[in-house]
Amino acid sequence: MTPVLLAIAALFAYGVPATLMLDPRARGAKLAGLGLLYGSGIVFFAMLVLSVFDVPWTLPLIATIAFLLAATFRALRISLPAGEGGRRPGEGRVTGLTVAVHALTALTLISYAFYATLAPLWEWDFWAIWGLKARVFFEHRGLDWRFLSSEWNTFAHTDYPQLVTFNYDFIALVCGGWNDRWLGLLNVAFAIALLLVVYSLARREASPLVAALATLACAATAGSRYVGLAEGALIAFGGAGVLMVRAAIVDDDEAAMRHGALLLGFAASCKNEGVALLVAVAIALTLVSRRWLLRLWPSVVIIAPWMLLRAFHHLPTDLVEGNVVARFLTHLRGIGAIVLDLSLTLVDPLLWVALIAGVLVLPNVARRRERFVLLVVAIQLAFYIASYLVTPHDVHWHISTSWTRLTRHLIVPLTVVVVLALANWLGGGEDAAHAEARSEL
Amino acid sequence: MESTRITPRRALAFACLAVIIVASVEYRLLRILFIDRTALRAAFARSADTGWYPDYPNFLRGVAAHTAPGDSIAIVVPPSKWDDGYAYAYYRASYFLAGREVLPLVTPKDAVVMSNFRRARYAAFWRVKPPANARVVWQGNGGVLVTR
Repeated sequence: MTPVLLAIAALFAYGVPATLMLDPRARGAKLAGLGLLYGSGIVFFAMLVLSVFDVPWTLPLIATIAFLLAATFRALRISLPAGEGGRRPGEGRVTGLTVAVHALTALTLISYAFYATLAPLWEWDFWAIWGLKARVFFEHRGLDWRFLSSEWNTFAHTDYPQLVTFNYDFIALVCGGWNDRWLGLLNVAFAIALLLVVYSLARREASPLVAALATLACAATAGSRYVGLAEGALIAFGGAGVLMVRAAIVDDDEAAMRHGALLLGFAASCKNEGVALLVAVAIALTLVSRRWLLRLWPSVVIIAPWMLLRAFHHLPTDLVEGNVVARFLTHLRGIGAIVLDLSLTLVDPLLWVALIAGVLVLPNVARRRERFVLLVVAIQLAFYIASYLVTPHDVHWHISTSWTRLTRHLIVPLTVVVVLALANWLGGGEDAAHAEARSEL
Repeated sequence: MESTRITPRRALAFACLAVIIVASVEYRLLRILFIDRTALRAAFARSADTGWYPDYPNFLRGVAAHTAPGDSIAIVVPPSKWDDGYAYAYYRASYFLAGREVLPLVTPKDAVVMSNFRRARYAAFWRVKPPANARVVWQGNGGVLVTR
């Protein structure tokens, strides 16, 4: 276990200076959370660069490239006055109740750490997809194009982006060999990082108690139960990225936009659903706040190398293989059964009902304030449903094996904005004064 | 105060907020702190391999120890249909034998691929009797690793 913890500490060590180079204001929870996420992303990108040039991975080489990449974060730096984008932290003081809520969040994370490290990683998708590719690349000390190009290995989804697999390889390099016994700790680290970012963002506009409640509400989702898969990383990078872009829009915060763009680029490097999330964010920005759209360019820079590599090597994506239109039309005829399946297999239905009811009950002005996140969630859900309509697999099998995972991708940003908006309105916060009077407009 | 007076809408908003917080706490996860995790740990350890545990994964470890990176290995197991267990056996072998070229003898459409058997340097037979003329490299955990 200790070598895995050391490897995670090394990720953190790369990420903290990078965070500070980009955003010198970052402190406390924000610095710690972003530090881990950026460290993970920088190490992934360093290993990708070495693979592109066919240079075998070694720790000194990765450390050198990672340091150079961390230094490039300074180029993205934006000069800003001290403080959080001109916004003062939400008022209020830490009470006993706040401490109790934090304690419950910590208890959830400790429980998750026990769960994620119960045994060598057991999920089918770990040893048939994520862990398999990581182990193959570790043996090869880089991307193994023979493996990825083999017709017999398409089951491993060879087109998927490589952030998570490369993170496992980095841990294996630090440990001096492949061992899947404690790799679940990486999932725990992603969960902690996301919750730190959530808390730091929530504190910008809410009291310590409300920020703590928003963080608690995200804790169980941040700790993805699909240990070893890329879900945990995608939830962390995607959730943090969407919330950062929201902060940029709400607070006119340039630095938050830079964070959002980088985090969404790394989310797109976790899974194809992360690429879809990036597209959803771009569409939502086009509709809501067009001036921020081009600021997403760092995301494109991050994901472009892998997209080009997989196109160059003709790595197949199952959803777009064959006659997509014919499959779409066929499945469309059974849309009723598909919708029924999606409804029956929805995970945490009570939570979803409460979230949707929470959105509906909000005054219009509060809902309009959150339309970016609400649009991103709606568009991403539409993408997921569209993927079932074009799936080459049995659609009901596809739904039963993925819908519960996919819907969890969206819970964190949705929960945060609904909790903050409801609490703000109920507490008579900054938007509440005229909200109810204008709610029927 | 106008902005904080209690209205049905505010009551509903408060209820939504309360349900979101309560519903998002994972009580089953919290229980893990207070139970004896030994049985759970054992169940998780064997969950990847179910009925094939522990012989098949141990056999694959033995195959890995007796082959070198880059070697090609065909997998022969009792299930002859993809969804009846061959897919599991092949995927699991791919994981334990990473660095080698693992070749299936059955496709997802249940077609037999004898060309892979001929191409492979080794064949890993698990609970299947290898040909009489095959040269045994190693055997154990219910299986035999052979080469030509």
